[in-house]
Parts: sequence; structure tokens; C-alpha cells
Amino acid sequence: MATNEVETNFFKRASKWKFIIIILLFALFLTLLLSLNVGYARIPFAEILSIIGKQFPFLDKIIDPSIISQTSPGIILQVRMPRIVAGALVGAALAASGVVYQGVFKNPMADSYLLGVSAGAAVGASISILFASGMPIFGFRLVQVAAFFGALIAMLLVYSISRVGSRVPITTLLLCGIAVNFFLYAIVALIEVLAGDELTNIVFWLIGGFSNVLWFDIFSVMPIILVGITLSYFYARDLNLLALGEENAQHLGVNVERVKKVLLILASLVTASAVSICGLIGFVGLMVPHITRLVIGPDHRILFPASAIVGAIFLVICDSVARVIATPFASTLELPVGIITMLTGAPFFILLFKKKKESYAL
Amino acid sequence: MNTKYLLAGIIITIIAVSAIGLYMFYPRSPDDSGDYIVTVVDDSGVEIGLKEYPNSVISLAPSITEIVFAIDAGDLVVGVTDYDNYPYDFSEWVQAGNMTSVGSFDNPSLEVIVSLDPDLILATGGVLGETITTLRDMNYKVVVLDPTTLNGVLDNIELAGKLTNKNAEATSLIDEIDSRIADVEEIVATADYIPTVYYEVWYDPTSLWTAGSQAWQHELIEIAGGKNLFEDQDLEYFLSSAEAVIDRNPDIMIVPEEHGVNFWGSFDDIKNRPGWETINALQNDRIYDIDSDLLARAGPRIAETIETLAAVFHPELF
Repeated sequence: MATNEVETNFFKRASKWKFIIIILLFALFLTLLLSLNVGYARIPFAEILSIIGKQFPFLDKIIDPSIISQTSPGIILQVRMPRIVAGALVGAALAASGVVYQGVFKNPMADSYLLGVSAGAAVGASISILFASGMPIFGFRLVQVAAFFGALIAMLLVYSISRVGSRVPITTLLLCGIAVNFFLYAIVALIEVLAGDELTNIVFWLIGGFSNVLWFDIFSVMPIILVGITLSYFYARDLNLLALGEENAQHLGVNVERVKKVLLILASLVTASAVSICGLIGFVGLMVPHITRLVIGPDHRILFPASAIVGAIFLVICDSVARVIATPFASTLELPVGIITMLTGAPFFILLFKKKKESYAL
Repeated sequence: MNTKYLLAGIIITIIAVSAIGLYMFYPRSPDDSGDYIVTVVDDSGVEIGLKEYPNSVISLAPSITEIVFAIDAGDLVVGVTDYDNYPYDFSEWVQAGNMTSVGSFDNPSLEVIVSLDPDLILATGGVLGETITTLRDMNYKVVVLDPTTLNGVLDNIELAGKLTNKNAEATSLIDEIDSRIADVEEIVATADYIPTVYYEVWYDPTSLWTAGSQAWQHELIEIAGGKNLFEDQDLEYFLSSAEAVIDRNPDIMIVPEEHGVNFWGSFDDIKNRPGWETINALQNDRIYDIDSDLLARAGPRIAETIETLAAVFHPELF
């Protein structure tokens, strides 16, 4: 009897989860479609749909090309779509790794930048901006390659410093991460002071934004981000057990050290890839997991995928806002999206938190 | 077992899609070698060839807009930045719908640039390097004009003339600038003293920015008969300490109007900076407010800048 009840509960919950994911995916799709309408150039929705339809075989035969103006395809396909897709990919990456970091560290302040990933990327990016950011390396830009490897080197540095024998205690990892972050940011500040003309370039990179993302950049980080997220998802159950404490998790059959190592490496790879194409976008990795947790609860099996989708939706919306928010003051000014994520996200989180704080736990 | 196959399937799909995407969007330049009517090497060292003279040009810097209009190629310009105000008040043009603004000087809007579909984009080093790379990856013709010397400015004028088929206009503009500079040099050569000049590029409450010997303004100061206070610093623009300025005791201070002063205080605030009252320039009241557009733009008005500076440095000769 008891087993049956557990089973029915499980199926009930599983179908509820499926429902949540389907709703969120639908919301993401709507967001992507609507944000295609947002931008400086006024392009009617019918024209946008025609431009997209033209890209598919068979469909292009039935679309009337006369409603498509000369410059619109370039704007939609080469400017707006890449930045929207990049927004979704990066939002998912930062939010998903945020969940992993918070779960592994059992710390609500943990975010995707914790292990020195952001600071390492910042050092790599600013050094390369100082010398030759546009230099291509097999089609990739130097600044992206430098940011990616800067992030990984910083992460490995933190990880190896904090290792005690074969174990990596969480507290040590956390403190080493903070120390290395400070050290690397001092280097970034030093580079900024010496940068002269290139200072603006560095500042814009540090705030983060999508205004320079092209399709090639997206496809170069897509495999790492999507494979990383997929693999991490299979550790959702282990993350749930880790929440009971490392010792308890060990007793319940989790290979704690191995799980920690795999998850931290995956999350750092995912974050490093995201950061390399768009700079440091704050808030998403820290707050989106909390926002999602406040609404759907702490079970990582649903929290992890839901956070990734919410992160994607959130960042795409923020980037759409960033594209047009300044329009009333200066018709063509674009703001870096990092400013919008923090300005809108923080008050929203506080509002949500105030409503639910009694029952909130990691 | 099922999960494993599912996982493998997902991963292979992701990698395959990415590989196809990378192949499709690999940045390659269109195969149009040969038959260029004009080829130039710009200040970023990139060679750019044009098959025909441009009908539409976007200028991504006020100094470049000044050059293009000065060589009589202004009617080609379809887009400027929010900061462009010479030779015309372009913000009025934008409001009247006769010109499009591509946004701020340091971060122009890609979407606006694409919507203008320009044949040629003229950018400066101050524009985000990333933007230039992106535009080039999108196969736009982007020429970077980023002079570090006076000759560099003149070369840029010649280059702009080549690109817009206004060679004669560019040459006559260069000749005019050259002869005006020669006139100043001739007069200044008779001066019996050379004042030291402190050029405050920018001031904000925490730092003083000034120019070293790598900045083109250094050369302008020398031609105008002055001696850059920080000529020994082999840098472009850098942060100096107040102590260094007081210690080196400049005879003259030039402060571009609007470059910080109007934001962070009045002209008198500079005179009242603690410890600065001992400086010659302040004791003799030789602190001058110079139009920031003249001092900061490497454009066709540099002869005017040099004349202005010379008159300030050597009022006895002019």
C-alpha cells in the first residue's frame, strides 16, 4: 500500500513537472518571437515572419517577397536574431550554473562567478583588448579565446589551491575563490588605469552586452553550454542529496568528492563559454535560481531545468529592454544589458522574497 | 541503458548542429579579389579595396565627419554619431530627418548601421574595437582612421580623399593646412622664450588626465611654440598626480572647455585647487579655456588649433 502511494505521488509530481517545463518552454518561445519586434528599425511583424519563412525550403516558394524591404533581412537575421539567441543561451548557462554552484556550496550567495571564473575572464579579456582584441584565431576573436581560457585557468587555480589531500572542502573553496577574485580584479583595475584609449572597450566588456554577437560566436560556444547543461542535469538527484549535508549524501551512496568535482568543472566551463561571448553579465547567475526556487521549490530535478529556461527568458527580455529603453532620450542609444539585469532583477527579487520569506530555504 | 543512449543522442545532435553552424557562419571575406579601383591601408594595418566609389558613407567619429565634409564629400554621408556638431549642427539634421544618428561615439548601434546599408564605414580607434571587428565580419568595408601624429591626420585626409574620389579637394586642404602651419612656425621661431604647457585632457575629482609625447596634441603644442610639461613621458594619455604638476610648475595651463570642467566645477575651482597657487600659470593668470572640439579632434581644423595655441602661448607675436 505504502509503495503504491509513493509511486502515485511520484507520477503526480512528474506530470506536474512536465507541465511546468512545457509552460516555460512556451513562454520562452513567445519571448523570442516578441523580442524579434524590438529594435530601432520598425519592421512589421508580418515582414519578420516572411523573412524567417524565406530561410526554409518549400516555405520560401509561397511567401510573397514584395513585402520584404531591402535592409530588413540583414537586420533581422544578422543583427537581432543572433543577439536574441545569444541572450537565451547565455541566460540559460548562467542560471543553470548558478543552481549548481548554490547546490554544491549550499550557500545562497554562491553564483556562477564564484570560482574566479568572472575575474579570470576579465583579466584575459582586458589583456587581449589592450593588445589586439580583433585578431582572429581560427575565426574566433582573441578577446573571446582569452576570456574563456582566463576563466578556466582562474577556476583551476582556485580549485588546486583549495585541495586538501584528495578532498576539496567547501569552505576553503569559497574563501580561496573570494581571495583569487580580489587578486584578479586588482590586475583588471591596473590594466584599466594603463589602458588609455582602450579603457572604454574594457569597461563595456566588463558590463557585458550582446551588441557584437554574430552567429559564429553562438555556434562556437553552443556545444559546451548545451552539453554542459545536459550532463549537469543528470546530477540533479545528487544535488538534492548534497543538500542534506555531505556526510549524509555519502552515506546515501553519493560519491561526494567526484560529484562536486564534475559539477564544478561543468558549471565553470558553461559559465566561461557564456562570459566569453558577452562579457560579465551580473545578477542572472545569482538571482534567477533564487527566483525560480521561490516559485517552484528546492527540488533540483525541476529547479535545474526550470532555472535554465527562466534565465533564458529573463535575459532575452532584459536585452530587448536594453535595446530600446534609451530611445526617448537618444533615438539610437543602446544600453549594455548588464545594467538592465541588475536594475530590474534586484527589485523584483526583493518583492518576491518579501512575500515568501518565512518558507524560504535553499 | 536507455538514459545513456538518450544522452549520447542529445550530445551528438548538439555537437552536429554546432559544427554545421560554425561551418556556415565562418567569417570569410567575399571572393572579390582583383579589379579594385582603389586600395588603401588604414591605421589598423588592414588593406581595404573598393570596386566602386561609395554612394553612402557612415562616419563613426566627429573628426571624420569634419574631414569628409571638408573635402566636399559631405553629400555621401548617411549616418553620423550623436556627438557630431561641425561643420553643421547634425542633431538638427537628425531631428529634421535629413540625417541618421548611429548612436553614441563609443558604442554605435549595429542595427542602425545595417539599416543604412552603407558602402563604406569610416571609424576611429575610439570606437569599440569589437564593433569594428563585427562590422568587418559582416563584410562591411570599414576603414579605421586613428592618427597619432600630425602627419597621420594629414594622411587620413588624403586617404579619405582617395576613398571618396575627392583627391584634388584633399590635396588642396592638406596644402592649406601645411601653409597655415608653416606661417605659425615662422612667427613662433622668432620667439625668445618657450613656455612650458600643462594640457589637462580631462579632470574628474579623483584624477588628472594629461598627454605625453605619444599624443598628437603634444606635437601641436610644440609647433605652436610651447613645451609639453610631460614631454618626457613616453605615453599617449595618462593619469598624472597633482604633485607632479605643481613640482614641474607650468608657465601655461590649457584646459579644454567641457572636458570635465563644466561637469565637476568651474574654472575658478582649478585656481583654488590646494597647493596649486604656487604654479606660475596661476600666479600670472595664464590659464586658458580652449574649445574642446579643436583640441580633441584629429580633423581638418588642426591648423586653427595650432593658430589658437600659438596666440595663447605667444600673445606678444600675434
